[in-house]
Amino acid sequence: MTQPPNGSPESIEPPMGLLAELTHRCPLQCPYCSNPLELVRRERELETADWSRVFAEAAELGVLQLHLSGGEPALRPDLETLVARAAAVGLYTNLITSAVGLDADRLARLRDAGLHHVQISFQDVTPEGVELIGRAPGALSKKIALARAAVELGLPWTLNAVLHRHNLDRVERFLELALELGAHRIELANVQYYGWGFVNRAALMPTRAQLDRFRAVLERAVRELRGRLAIDYVIPDYYARYPKPCMSGWGRSVMVVAPDGTVMPCHAAWVIPGLTFPRVQEQPLRAIWYESAAFNAFRGTGWMREPCRSCPRREEDFGGCRCQAAMLLGDAAATDPACALSPHHEAMVQLAERESTAPPPPFTYRRMGARTTLRQRELAAAGA
Amino acid sequence: MSLLGPADVVRLPSWVVLRFDPVRRRHVLLAPERVLFPCPTTVTILQRLGEGRRLADLAAELAREFDAPAGEILEDVIALLEELACGCLLEVRRCGHDAAAERVA
Repeated sequence: MTQPPNGSPESIEPPMGLLAELTHRCPLQCPYCSNPLELVRRERELETADWSRVFAEAAELGVLQLHLSGGEPALRPDLETLVARAAAVGLYTNLITSAVGLDADRLARLRDAGLHHVQISFQDVTPEGVELIGRAPGALSKKIALARAAVELGLPWTLNAVLHRHNLDRVERFLELALELGAHRIELANVQYYGWGFVNRAALMPTRAQLDRFRAVLERAVRELRGRLAIDYVIPDYYARYPKPCMSGWGRSVMVVAPDGTVMPCHAAWVIPGLTFPRVQEQPLRAIWYESAAFNAFRGTGWMREPCRSCPRREEDFGGCRCQAAMLLGDAAATDPACALSPHHEAMVQLAERESTAPPPPFTYRRMGARTTLRQRELAAAGA
Repeated sequence: MSLLGPADVVRLPSWVVLRFDPVRRRHVLLAPERVLFPCPTTVTILQRLGEGRRLADLAAELAREFDAPAGEILEDVIALLEELACGCLLEVRRCGHDAAAERVA
């Protein structure tokens, strides 16, 4: 296979995954949503034909897995058509849904259209807990109903548990629920502090003691449930020693298409100042992946400074997360402060310890038109 | 302790897709939130799973074809499939009352 040159010393592999944020509209208002603070309105969303072309271009480029996300993707009336188009070009198709507004009949139609897997978010394991986060009354029963429908239809489903200080102590119950409802897989994802999660960090950050207990439960579950339930997990990196290999490296494996067609290497990349992200209406996906300045900005290791540049882990974690470095340090090319080798690491840990042990402030819920950009800037300025 | 034994009949669920990827020019195995790149030997095994054959029968068939000891082939087959079984990516049907006794360590 020949690949266009781009001036980067590393050879560029084709992308494996495409995250399609079909809409930012959502019936839930989760305060940790990873969507940007400036949400895309319905009138700016890509049309069916645009998405269909994007899926075809993605498959041709080498994308194997398509993640249909949002917002709530079920709010798109053309979801069945989009799944069918994705299946027709050979993409393995995952639907990431809150289950609110998606019933068994529609799930059956999606399966018939070629859907391979559904991921259902569980904000908590009790009706009150789910409502505290999502603010949609009765949501838990809808999630349980959709999970049962998936099993009935022979569709594998993932229980997606987003964990934070208010529900982390119920991790065993999340695991039990996944087993009771016949999940194929569970994702125990501690909140990542981007988008609305960054705004609400102090209200969400677990204590170190909570996290230690979580690790012990996780270790036992991975051992005991081997072969019965696939378990994936995300640890909050404010307490980490090494940073996460964010998106498996910038522009290395995944591309994200926002509802208005903006293409980014990561769903949080909009926080990095100075980058212009191309749109699918303007350029083919192939050119965006291989040639755009935004995708080449932090590719490989050539952009790194010390301590990343000479670090033996530089091709394991790629210096961590560029967005986190930009948000917390105002410098996207700095070492992610989640790394113990960053001079700012200790301040980040102290920030997490301070916020997690103080009484939680009220949530700023995710809503269209909420004017919280200023608040985010204030938090960034007061950060590590 | 292995999750698989010689008497097990194993197959890929309908939602685990093994296909040739023309871009990378190799087979890929696609599952929920997983992309695996099986080696050619694993591809051969995956393509022959199911059809009511026990893993021991499959190993015997491969041993005849490749003129290799069936015991060693069986160990290799089970080792290669173990990762998929751990990740819940195989449907496993236990066959015969001696399934547990025949299980490899």
